[in-house]
Amino acid sequence: MNQSTTPVTLALFCKVVDNYGDIGICWRLARQLVREHAIAVTLWVDDLKSFARICPQVDTQATVQHVDGVAVYHWRDQEGTYRAEDVADIVIEFFAVDIPPGYVTAMAQRAARPVWLNLEGLTAEEWVEGCHTLPSMHPRLPLTKHFFFPGFTGKTGGLLREVDLLERRDRFQQDAGGIAAFLGGLGLAPAEQRACKVSLFCYPHAPVAGLFDAWRRGGAPLACLVPEGVAKDEVRAFLGAEPVAGASRTQGMLTVRVLPFVPQADYDPLLWACDVNIVRGEDSFVRAQWANRPFAWHIYPQDDNLHHKKLRAFISRYCPDIEPLERFALAFNGVTEPAGDDWLPLWQAFSGAFESLACRSANWQKAVLANGDLASNLLTFAASVR
Amino acid sequence: MKPAKEIRVGNIIMVDAKPFIVLRSDVNGSSRTGFTYKWKMKNLLTNAPLENVFRGDDKFDVVVLDKKPVTYSYYADPLYVFMDEEYNQFEIEEENLGDALNYLKDGMECEAVFYDGKAISVELPTTIVRQIVYSEPAVKGNTSGNVLKEAKIENAIESKQHTVQVPLFVSQDDSIEIDTRTNEYKRVIRN
Repeated sequence: MNQSTTPVTLALFCKVVDNYGDIGICWRLARQLVREHAIAVTLWVDDLKSFARICPQVDTQATVQHVDGVAVYHWRDQEGTYRAEDVADIVIEFFAVDIPPGYVTAMAQRAARPVWLNLEGLTAEEWVEGCHTLPSMHPRLPLTKHFFFPGFTGKTGGLLREVDLLERRDRFQQDAGGIAAFLGGLGLAPAEQRACKVSLFCYPHAPVAGLFDAWRRGGAPLACLVPEGVAKDEVRAFLGAEPVAGASRTQGMLTVRVLPFVPQADYDPLLWACDVNIVRGEDSFVRAQWANRPFAWHIYPQDDNLHHKKLRAFISRYCPDIEPLERFALAFNGVTEPAGDDWLPLWQAFSGAFESLACRSANWQKAVLANGDLASNLLTFAASVR
Repeated sequence: MKPAKEIRVGNIIMVDAKPFIVLRSDVNGSSRTGFTYKWKMKNLLTNAPLENVFRGDDKFDVVVLDKKPVTYSYYADPLYVFMDEEYNQFEIEEENLGDALNYLKDGMECEAVFYDGKAISVELPTTIVRQIVYSEPAVKGNTSGNVLKEAKIENAIESKQHTVQVPLFVSQDDSIEIDTRTNEYKRVIRN
């Protein structure tokens, strides 16, 4: 795709429904397409404030700006007329957002029709394989969209992964001095650095108070690193103070430390430096898999508990034989309840399985790597339907 | 205009100004954007089969075709024969029956759909009652609402015997109500 002198153009439409997952994934994909594939990317995003939290260079007032080689347009509304020349070669609607009708009309007017993709959410459910890359004809216009599903098998689009990610990770994880400097930079005292370090990134309904109680009573020192704004109420209760970046307190075996909300680019080293990661949503969930550390997933809640199905589907692919992780993950996501409302036995069983999980993680990565990466797979597919 | 989530097997929709019959619809949970509808369709002008996916809120023009109440009569290889109240017979190709084949039963009431004067498919009622002809016994003590087992339902065609996921408490010989739009169990009917 990047052989011609004129770069392929790609427009990515992102609507932030809540949190940072939507823009997190789109931003990661956009940057990778520019850096590794020389694609001219335009990112249309409706919420620049959320974007600025994960990418501080973003000007929240600008209608158009260039960040890291990506043209960022503030997507204000569905109005506007567009010309065929305004339409990119590849148009991606992320998570089935409605592209402005004027833009869709212009897509149909373009002499060479654009490749139109709906990039869907990540799930390990089997049905995705049957829908990946299937067409979706427009009911009235001579346009065909294709559904593109990220996933964990060769019959899906794969996972987002930058070409140098694993090399950077390995370098970091083999550099004890570098890790100490990184953790020191986050304010961790030497005792916290020696403790079992858990990064905690979860939705507000997570059972954090119960987990804190278990960690406090646990048999070994544990440092919980939580970004500012996450699990606010529970962290405030533990600290007995406002959970601002830099705040920390030790009770029993547990130290809770509030970290600044780091830009997306700085999140990986945190995952790499911790012994266990609790992650949420889709983007950090994938990063935790690449971190090669034991992790538990706090999944985005959906109506009718559809997310329980998605969680079980992932567990049955990832570790059907490592029951402590399954039990911990199900309880952490509210599918089950810990016996006697005590999280300590669940945590102890989970931490006792870290060795098996380390093995599993290595094998899992090998298998997932064989599917290529999402950005490359997406461009290969786009080229096949152009 | 009807959203994809309201379109049923047997409906004729217009896509890019061409009439398509929906032969099979698989509904799958997806992201927060709702469900994904995977349809097997057939172009009524060319007979070309096609598989497409749609979002639940994608809107289509549904072609209103003549319909007539009929009952399933018999199978005359390779056609399925239906009969109306005046004993007129209508033959429909197997591939046009789509998921209706899963529920075919002698004397079954449904509506034949006509395009250009020819019967091209049947539409089933939204819900249908069928008896379970085989299912494993329930495992005692396993009462979780999420646990399902397979149950074969009665069907006029041996080779088309269809399986529905039912809760554990449902037994062989029970009659169950099935939603024909989703092919899902709705409830057990016991006197």
